[in-house]
Amino acid sequence: MRLLQVSLRSLLLYSLILVLISIPVSIFSIREIINEEVDETLALHTNQFVQHIKSYEYLEDLEMDLKIWDQLSYDITLIPSDGIAVGERYETISTYDSIEHESHPFRTLSTGIVIKDKPYLLTIRMSLVDNDELVMALGIVQIILIVLLATGLLLLNRSLSRKLWRPFYNTLNQLKAYELDKSESIQPEKTNIVEFADLNKTVSHLTDRNRRVYLEQKEFIENASHELQTPLSIFQSKLDNLMQIPGLTEAGAATILDLEETAQRMVRLNKNLLLLSKIDNGQFNEVQEMDLSKLAETLLSNLRPMADTDNISIQTSINSLSIKANPTLTEVLLTNLFHNAIRHTNTNGKVNVELSGRVLTVTNTGNPLKMTPEKMFERFSKEGRSENSSGLGLAIVKKICDTCLYSIHYNFHAGMHTFSVTF
Amino acid sequence: MKILIIEDEKQLVRSMAQFLRQESYVCEIAYSASEANEKILLFDYDCILLDISLPDGNGLKILEKLRASNKTDGVIMITAKGSFDDRIAGLNLGADDYLPKPFYLPELSARISAVIRRKRFDGNNKISFHEIEIDLLGKTVKVNGNEIELTRKEYDLLVFLIANKNRVVSKNAIAEHLSGDDAELMDKFDFIYSHIKNLKKKLMEAGCEDYIKTVYGLGYKFTT
Repeated sequence: MRLLQVSLRSLLLYSLILVLISIPVSIFSIREIINEEVDETLALHTNQFVQHIKSYEYLEDLEMDLKIWDQLSYDITLIPSDGIAVGERYETISTYDSIEHESHPFRTLSTGIVIKDKPYLLTIRMSLVDNDELVMALGIVQIILIVLLATGLLLLNRSLSRKLWRPFYNTLNQLKAYELDKSESIQPEKTNIVEFADLNKTVSHLTDRNRRVYLEQKEFIENASHELQTPLSIFQSKLDNLMQIPGLTEAGAATILDLEETAQRMVRLNKNLLLLSKIDNGQFNEVQEMDLSKLAETLLSNLRPMADTDNISIQTSINSLSIKANPTLTEVLLTNLFHNAIRHTNTNGKVNVELSGRVLTVTNTGNPLKMTPEKMFERFSKEGRSENSSGLGLAIVKKICDTCLYSIHYNFHAGMHTFSVTF
Repeated sequence: MKILIIEDEKQLVRSMAQFLRQESYVCEIAYSASEANEKILLFDYDCILLDISLPDGNGLKILEKLRASNKTDGVIMITAKGSFDDRIAGLNLGADDYLPKPFYLPELSARISAVIRRKRFDGNNKISFHEIEIDLLGKTVKVNGNEIELTRKEYDLLVFLIANKNRVVSKNAIAEHLSGDDAELMDKFDFIYSHIKNLKKKLMEAGCEDYIKTVYGLGYKFTT
């Protein structure tokens, strides 16, 4: 759920409760106010009536007049009483209206008064607003209020999330698509919102710094590999001279051989590291049309003599395929795949290379993997302790596939390792 | 035969010169581009070993100048960069060969003799070693005048060993020379051993003396 929706939900719920509570409260308080006003008016009218009656007390047949008057007047009744009723009494009553065929609420004030020594009960009434109508009117108003509030909030929310949050989503989408080794830098949208501007600044700063560190690191690896070439050359050349010294003993020769093997490992490791960083740096971008089938056959025929020493048979089924690719990378890719297959095939095993359609499949017999297939493509992950393997061959294969957008799959079935690359 | 080594790494230069002088090459050394330019102007060399990255300039510039003055000295470029572009640029400018660092000195020595032979004899040349005669153009080998059948690898091996005659050549150097990057696959050197064995057999069957000596487990030496 989006942030704005969460806050909107709370806002809506709160407004709804508030409006619902406000209906009875306002009805009650409005009624109280009206009653008070009406009561005041009733008291005033009663007072005036009593004053006026006093001024008519000289009339002989006042009693008769009052009876007639009582019949005529609609809102005032004046009836002789037994004299028990005393003081003033306010009450709300409901009276049936024979014309409108419905009950109306009235407020009445009954007062016991004495006219010409005779007790009367004076009742003055005033029509009140119909309770149902009041509730209805208030209810309708409040419901309209709720509807307006809800739609207003929803619309506002929508336009807010579109306008206000746009820089945020823009930055977020760029971050989602960000790849340290490919993307340049994040270009956040300008915004007046302090928090977003802050976020954008931080994100830009972070990605820029990461990228700078990454580039420095990349450059460092390449430079380090370059710089190592010279000392390695010196080391190797000294060994070449050392073995020329007359009177070399067998132990001396063995030591020189060990040193040379070690130097070779360093050279290979360095070469592969340099290759990886060169691929990273995009130094193999130029492509040309090349015959993949021919390349595969040439490489395999070079490898056959070596495979023969371990009695490994290489079977091929290569259909012709031309692709547009970088020659160096393609050669390294095939060489590494073939080397890997031969290296991990047991004596008397089989390697099968098949090129059909745009798929190259390299299969070899061998023991099941001890590591997970994902780990196999990582740098310096070695199966077993082969001293001649740099542990970078398959990492380079993976890197080339990623760079050239080839897909690579591995599976192990019935004692056969299979790598397939789709060009 | 005179060789000029243009290289700023003194230790490497010393090793190269030491190795090549055993082959009775006369080695001169230039540690910088300016020194090299001066020497090239004054003398002719059979072969120039040219490091591309020099402290005071690019080696390719030296090559350009050399060819512009119509000098035909053989040039082998040596570089730590190993970049494809450098190789193409160098060969286009008229370098005869290209050797990426790090390299085996026997490999360097073999390349130098190949370049010198090509320059001297216009490519139509033969190598002789006692009863062995190798026709480099036809890639044929004769022992006492009788041609013997060698595989491509055996032929390469023989030429490589003779180019480094009287010197110990390690198995690693031979493996690299014969198989390039594929050399890293060879765990036990059975591969080299079987080639050496076959070559020896073929030579001796044709009445050749056994010149290929094993130097402990280290390598081989082609010597009388």
